Amino acid sequence: MNLLFDRGTIVLHDVPPDLDLTAIAGVHWDPRVNVWRAPGRLSYPLATALKRRGVQLANTPCPKLDPPSGFCTIGLRPYQQAAFAAWRLAGRRGLIALPTGSGKTRVALAAMAATATPALCLVPTRALLGQWINAIADVYPGPVGCLGDGERQLHPITVATFASAYRHMPLIGDRFGLLVVDEAHHFGQAQKDDALDMAIAPLRLGLSATPPSPGNAAQNLARMIGPTVFELNVNDLTGEFLAPLDRITMQLWLGPDEQRELDELTEIYRNAFHLFQVSHPQGRWEDFVNVAGHTDEGRRGVAAWRRTRRLLAYPRCKQRALAELLAQTRDRRTLVFVGDNETAYAVAREHLIMPLTCDIGRAERDSVLEQFRSGKLRALVSAQVLNEGLDVPDADVGIVVAGRMGEREHTQRVGRLLRPGEGKRAVVYELVVQRSNEVRQAAQRWSRLATRSRSAA
Amino acid sequence: MLPEADLPLRIIGNTAYFDFLGPQDEPWVQALLGEMQRFEGQRRRQLAERLAEPFSFNAPYFKRRAASRVLMRLWKPERIVGVRPTVLRQAVFVRAASQEDREQVLEDVALEFSLSRQSLAETLFGDLPGERIVRAPCPIPSAHEVVLRTNVAIAQAAVMRASTIDLSILGATRPIVRLAKLRGLLCVVKENRPGTHPVLEISGPFSLFRHTLIYGRALAELLPHLAWCARFTLNAQCSLRGRLCDVSIDNSAPIFPADAPIAFDSKLEARFAKDIAALALDWDLVREPEPLRADGTLIFPDFLLTHRIHKERRVFIELIGFWTPDYLAKKLARLRDSGITNMVLCLDEERVCNADELPPGLPIVKYRRRVDAAAVLKQVEQLV
Repeated sequence: MNLLFDRGTIVLHDVPPDLDLTAIAGVHWDPRVNVWRAPGRLSYPLATALKRRGVQLANTPCPKLDPPSGFCTIGLRPYQQAAFAAWRLAGRRGLIALPTGSGKTRVALAAMAATATPALCLVPTRALLGQWINAIADVYPGPVGCLGDGERQLHPITVATFASAYRHMPLIGDRFGLLVVDEAHHFGQAQKDDALDMAIAPLRLGLSATPPSPGNAAQNLARMIGPTVFELNVNDLTGEFLAPLDRITMQLWLGPDEQRELDELTEIYRNAFHLFQVSHPQGRWEDFVNVAGHTDEGRRGVAAWRRTRRLLAYPRCKQRALAELLAQTRDRRTLVFVGDNETAYAVAREHLIMPLTCDIGRAERDSVLEQFRSGKLRALVSAQVLNEGLDVPDADVGIVVAGRMGEREHTQRVGRLLRPGEGKRAVVYELVVQRSNEVRQAAQRWSRLATRSRSAA
Repeated sequence: MLPEADLPLRIIGNTAYFDFLGPQDEPWVQALLGEMQRFEGQRRRQLAERLAEPFSFNAPYFKRRAASRVLMRLWKPERIVGVRPTVLRQAVFVRAASQEDREQVLEDVALEFSLSRQSLAETLFGDLPGERIVRAPCPIPSAHEVVLRTNVAIAQAAVMRASTIDLSILGATRPIVRLAKLRGLLCVVKENRPGTHPVLEISGPFSLFRHTLIYGRALAELLPHLAWCARFTLNAQCSLRGRLCDVSIDNSAPIFPADAPIAFDSKLEARFAKDIAALALDWDLVREPEPLRADGTLIFPDFLLTHRIHKERRVFIELIGFWTPDYLAKKLARLRDSGITNMVLCLDEERVCNADELPPGLPIVKYRRRVDAAAVLKQVEQLV
């Protein structure tokens, strides 16, 4: 009998007539081409199940690329060693949850070196492609493949964006034996899960600073990558391995004209939302946005909400506060977090701070980070690029002008400042407009992070 | 492709119905085009913001959203000439890190690159998508064209959310199957009731396991090509607004077609089509009709003649021209396997093959350089 990889699936050929495949989970009869078929992910469990039934397998899918060799010795901190050991003990499958800045990439590199099987690293953004390639190149002498951001090279160690992996997995799903999934919490919500299901790789390592809470997403993630095998939070590592952090909330007030406009806009969208809630008592915000398009009130409501968001993104009080803070922290490495690219460019124009947005190309981004590292640039402003994974060296001041994604985004943003340094004490300034929904959002943001906090008016 | 939230469609029960744009929408599309032209030379971000706001003209909301997105794709960003913005950014921001006076920094950089302060400000982020200057396409599309382009975008956005599509098509089938296979999709002819058109099921290997959207883009790409089929009906289950809905699209959908497929594979076919069309006035000629299933694969007959009044009188015509012995043997084996009886085979006289190789019962017309249309028609009329 033969198991052959076919575009993200395993096709079973020459099945013995007396073999009952319906008893094996995940194997389906494909009436379109009259064969038995299973998702690529089940390749190895399927081979094991068949061997257990005494079936002779002439062909089974195995990673097509050559195994990588020549990794340098990778030194791990004690908690990284513990995480790696937990992953090995769990059958080299599972999710490791460590805070941002604690060196999850090192654990992944150790896994690649120890397993010595072709590995595919999946990363959420183009910005992270280059960072992972550089990190791998530091410990691995061979060429590193890249799939995404206009590049398409496959090597025994390859880094791919989620989007590219999703698109190309039917073709490359049988090349690798180890899948490393950075920011693995993006999976488990069905949207791009097929990419993980189409790969034959039996060894899987997920990395996240913000693993999903128990529920469907966590269950799906456990099915595709493995359960959470090791977890530490910021407080466990603060001091010795992560820089301590201070939080300063600046309470700001809109100007009278801005406040009046905000109140008027809020009134319009609240009325529209109230009307929606009457007809849809269980309706969520997303449902409101969908339904609102059908009526004039709804459309005005959504337009008003959009304007509210724009108004709060960078009102005069935030402009003044930001100018003051930037002047105060001029000699420190500062990251400014804003809600959207437009504000990022406005801040960049006003304060002559380099913006780091998704629009900035890879070469320029790498050069900017290098200049930030060397001290040629003192501050960066970003909307979302710095939200995840991107290793920003030595930043110790964060100014949160606005955010859109809530608690997870905030944890990731703050994590940029936690990379340890000698005598380093990071500080996060948060600009919060009073009498607006920012007050509630700011309170919610910190639920995952326990810090020393104080307020300033 | 359009986002799901922007699709003008109604879901009734388990069926989604498209609100395609029609001639009645052309006046507001024309007004929208006018609004777009007002932003000639402005930043893409400004145009996008304007399109998200309410308009003075009365246009159905979702239709307008869909048309706006289609137009945004047609309005291309201007090419950047002169100093590269990346170089300017490097100069401005690095200098600003060590020099506190903002005005002085801008003045120095403008001087260094021989730019005015205003053009420095304009060029600094001029290469970034939202900040780029937009230019209208030349020529500006008519309202009618925008309507058709929007409709195809709407239909494609729905089909993109399908895992499998069922196609009932007549004519120009082969390019569809060729394109589908090129995209790594599986095409099979589904068993159907006698007297009905065969149904082509197009899906991906992984569609067997769940409603995956991984083939959505490939499936949606087929849609504009279907417009060239003599008849088509596409049925699919699409994941829309959080549930699976039945979607049906046919020839009546006013969609913008893809570029025309190549009309004929050879001069021989082109000449034969012209001859038989002139001769068989009571018959309709369809090129590349529905595929036939044979030996686990598909056969694409070259032509189908259907009697205009007696629709049950249907005869496939296959022209076998230049071939290798191996190719001919395989082709004949497939025809034998298909069990088809209503087909006329036209064989090149120069290629000899044994009588036992030929599919039994099928009339043969031999030709030399040009197929005799009259002889074929005679065989057709004898056959059905």
